[in-house]
Amino acid sequence: MDLITNLGIGFGVALTFQNLWFCLVGVLLGTLIGVLPGIGPVATIAMLLPVTFTLNPTSALIMLAGIYYGAQYGGSTTSILINLPGESSSVVTCLDGYQMARQGRAGAALGIAAIGSFFAGCVSTVIIALFAPPLAEVALKFGPAEYFSLMVLGLIAATVLAHGSLIKAIAMVILGLLLGLVGTDVNSGVARFSFGVSELSDGIGFVSVAMGVFGFAEIINNLEQKGEREVFVKKVKGLLPTFKDLKDSAPSILRGTALGSFLGILPGGGALLASFAAYTLEKKVSKNSANFGKGAIQGVAAPESANNAGAQTSFIPLLTLGIPSNPVMALMIGAMMIQGIAPGPQVMTERPQLFWGMIASMWVGNLMLVVLNLPLIGMWIKLLTVPYRILYPAILLFCCIGVYSLSNSPFDVMQTAVFGVVGYIWVKLECEPAPLILGFILGPLMEENLRRAMLLSRGDATVFFRRPISLTMLLIAAFLLLIVVAPVVRKKREEAFVEA
Amino acid sequence: MKIANGKDFWAGAMFIAFGLAFMAVARNYSMGNAVRMGPAYFPMVLGGMLAVLGAFIFFRGFVSKIFNPLAVFPFRLWFVVGGLILGVLAFYTQPPRDAGAVAQIANMLLSGAAIGLMFAAFGPRSLWVILLSVVIFGYALKPLGLVLATGLLIFISAWGGHEFKTKEVTILFVSLAIFSVIAFVRGLQLPMNIWPSFLE
Repeated sequence: MDLITNLGIGFGVALTFQNLWFCLVGVLLGTLIGVLPGIGPVATIAMLLPVTFTLNPTSALIMLAGIYYGAQYGGSTTSILINLPGESSSVVTCLDGYQMARQGRAGAALGIAAIGSFFAGCVSTVIIALFAPPLAEVALKFGPAEYFSLMVLGLIAATVLAHGSLIKAIAMVILGLLLGLVGTDVNSGVARFSFGVSELSDGIGFVSVAMGVFGFAEIINNLEQKGEREVFVKKVKGLLPTFKDLKDSAPSILRGTALGSFLGILPGGGALLASFAAYTLEKKVSKNSANFGKGAIQGVAAPESANNAGAQTSFIPLLTLGIPSNPVMALMIGAMMIQGIAPGPQVMTERPQLFWGMIASMWVGNLMLVVLNLPLIGMWIKLLTVPYRILYPAILLFCCIGVYSLSNSPFDVMQTAVFGVVGYIWVKLECEPAPLILGFILGPLMEENLRRAMLLSRGDATVFFRRPISLTMLLIAAFLLLIVVAPVVRKKREEAFVEA
Repeated sequence: MKIANGKDFWAGAMFIAFGLAFMAVARNYSMGNAVRMGPAYFPMVLGGMLAVLGAFIFFRGFVSKIFNPLAVFPFRLWFVVGGLILGVLAFYTQPPRDAGAVAQIANMLLSGAAIGLMFAAFGPRSLWVILLSVVIFGYALKPLGLVLATGLLIFISAWGGHEFKTKEVTILFVSLAIFSVIAFVRGLQLPMNIWPSFLE
């Protein structure tokens, strides 16, 4: 069977000593940074991205994927122990996780989060292996018109799912697209918007944007809120959940995994949506729903499984279509491009080692998370007790060294600082930066496909509506916009985010 | 008319400004036509869309039912004025290309200070102090080496926080300097000098 052979290739790559080592380092570093409160996976990956530049593409991507799961798991640890979500996708974990910690059941909460995540990781690895090849085959038949419409759909979906004002999110996407166009135009060779600055003719550094907006701006915002952190648990006992815990949460883990895997595939989906949806669903269907918010183990198990499943299946659109569905995937695309790999359906056929190696390493990474993190939990708790005033200069230093090493010039550092200022202003104006990053990555691709589609159709813009796949995608995008604008849904959407 | 939502007001203004700025610069490039799009085509369309959306957000700021004060974050007008004065000064005292290094560096510092002041006009103190430390690190790394640049970054950025304990920051600096030399220069082999370039 193809699946077995493919996974065989993958494990052959993932289980080499070198790749196991980078996976391990990635998972450890990711957890280490992810545990720090106020730093989500996007900032973590942006910070650690330069570390992977010297590696070969396969190892680099394996390590980055490891960093991602690590950061996510680290985020849940922080949510459970100190009620401070490191990232938006573990916001719901706080609700019941922290309550469990207060009742002295932090161990069980952390344990079930790890087990749920691992189970979800196993299932979604198989899902990727099953669904990626056929999807990539479909994608290979896509022309420029289909690609353009797909990107429109992806960007619209991402804005629909952003918090707050839809119109601001769309404006941020467009601003991102425009910023992405800075630099030399491939077709005409004109250096656009570079103002004669030679560094800008290569385009705005994508690491600078991500690190400035998600890293620096976050540090400054954290410093502005003089909140005291309370570490509730000094020592966690009994990491292994009891048999009853397992029995209670098994259905939640299953439901969370199923829902998360599905939502992760959708453009604009991923871990965040998955965890919210899973929590809401669980609250409705669980037998224990009365206890939700008061330390119900199901309230930890479901969103944690779902966010891991969603995190992993959101690799499907990335690997098969070359379209990032969320900011983390945008960073992954950025990393691939820096490594000289053009993301898209051809990756699977042209570089099967990389493709399947990465998928197999996801499973390996999840296993490492469970095996390593449960014993290391004491260390993470120690880290949480370090005051922020000591942490942030260290974080800044690593960010700076990382950015500087991109091209060994102060220009990138300067650029990052500028995006730090802008990022701070955006947060204050309630303009979500996540859609901007997606737009930034897709800007050049979108222009290229628009140009090609229009060239092929001899300037006839109706080509986007005449091709069935393209039309379907545009219709879905329009439908998404319509339902968000519809007053009923709008109210619901606001409630859903308020509840969080 | 009174502004209801200051955040919408400013966000709208920002989007309009960005949209128009991109359109204005794109006018320098060739537009092409729908079949063969020139480098100006896509940015022009996007810039227009951004400006229209911005205008919508801007006017929503007047009728919004969400109320936010106009002063969304700290803003120091004097910094902007100072930055503008220094900027004009730097522009008109630009030394000729063949001028000596001292004049060149003096002018660079002047324009740097002007840009710095403009950025420092926004947000809390920690914003500009921390980002200043970052920029200083970037420009100090090559001439001063990793250890001293780390020192500058750590001390300045720590000063931008709420509490500054000299002893604590010194310990932090020493341990981070040792760690980064071992991890980045020795371990990852990043091409950085450890000590000032004139000593090596």
